[in-house]
Amino acid sequence: MRLTTRQLSLCALLTAMALGLGYLENFFPLSLAVPVPGVKLGLANIVTVFALYALGPGQALLILLSRCFLGSVFAGNLNALFFSLLGGISSMLVMAALSRLRKLSVYGVSVGGAAAHNCGQIAAAVLTLGSAAPVYYLPVLLGVSLFTGALTGLVAACLFRALSKTGLPGLR
Amino acid sequence: MLPFPELRPTLWDGLVVLGVILLAAVILASAWSREEDGGALAVVVSADGEEIDRFPPGELPDSPRIYENNGYTLRLAASPASGGDGVRVEAADCPTQDCVHTGVISRGGQSIVCLPARIIIRLEGGPPPETAVDAVTG
Repeated sequence: MRLTTRQLSLCALLTAMALGLGYLENFFPLSLAVPVPGVKLGLANIVTVFALYALGPGQALLILLSRCFLGSVFAGNLNALFFSLLGGISSMLVMAALSRLRKLSVYGVSVGGAAAHNCGQIAAAVLTLGSAAPVYYLPVLLGVSLFTGALTGLVAACLFRALSKTGLPGLR
Repeated sequence: MLPFPELRPTLWDGLVVLGVILLAAVILASAWSREEDGGALAVVVSADGEEIDRFPPGELPDSPRIYENNGYTLRLAASPASGGDGVRVEAADCPTQDCVHTGVISRGGQSIVCLPARIIIRLEGGPPPETAVDAVTG
């Protein structure tokens, strides 16, 4: 993939923002309200949704992979890399497919992505633990993903609405 | 670059939501159908997918158990409020503390998962509540 300097800078900026949002979400521990491993707001998904539409699936994937790798390095937890990669890539694939359906809004795409993220993370947990026990957490996680997905969809929609007025290189 | 997305929720988004709910319902239904209701209630502890301990929950009040795996330590204890059969992770030194936050499990089929330690604490067996001899109601 060949990137122009402008595209590369935008990718770097969005990666930094995703990492920042991922860190910010530690201050909103959703897992205290829903005590299930893996429950989180998924704020970094806002960046993925935005990048998917504004820059296309290729660059969105590039940002996602950079975010996963750097996030694990900064957190000093390489075990988390497997979880975030499997969750992130599942989410990315589903959102890339759903975003092609013109009748779906950014909300539907975001909810689908959040649900797929949870499925990917549970798959990582099943593979890591060598047991199907984590699958039983999936219904709760999927229920939560309806709300977190709608939330990230709402933020992404606000972002697109604002940018349609101000404009951004690479955006229509 | 994809065309600019639709920014208001559409009816088609409802289909995605419905799909997610359906998937959750199917998993929930299969989990319920597998819930065991025979034999004595037992706490089964496994690490890295291998069973490392199995004991009746009644033994816990006398001797809380400590498990170590993958560099982390978990302390399993009985929950006095749940009538003796409840089990919870009292303390763990893992960063996420999800296992501690999961709280008490007291019925067959329930489990506590600690991902960093790769430990699963699962309750197996146990009679249905209405026939349970030691059941505490109210």
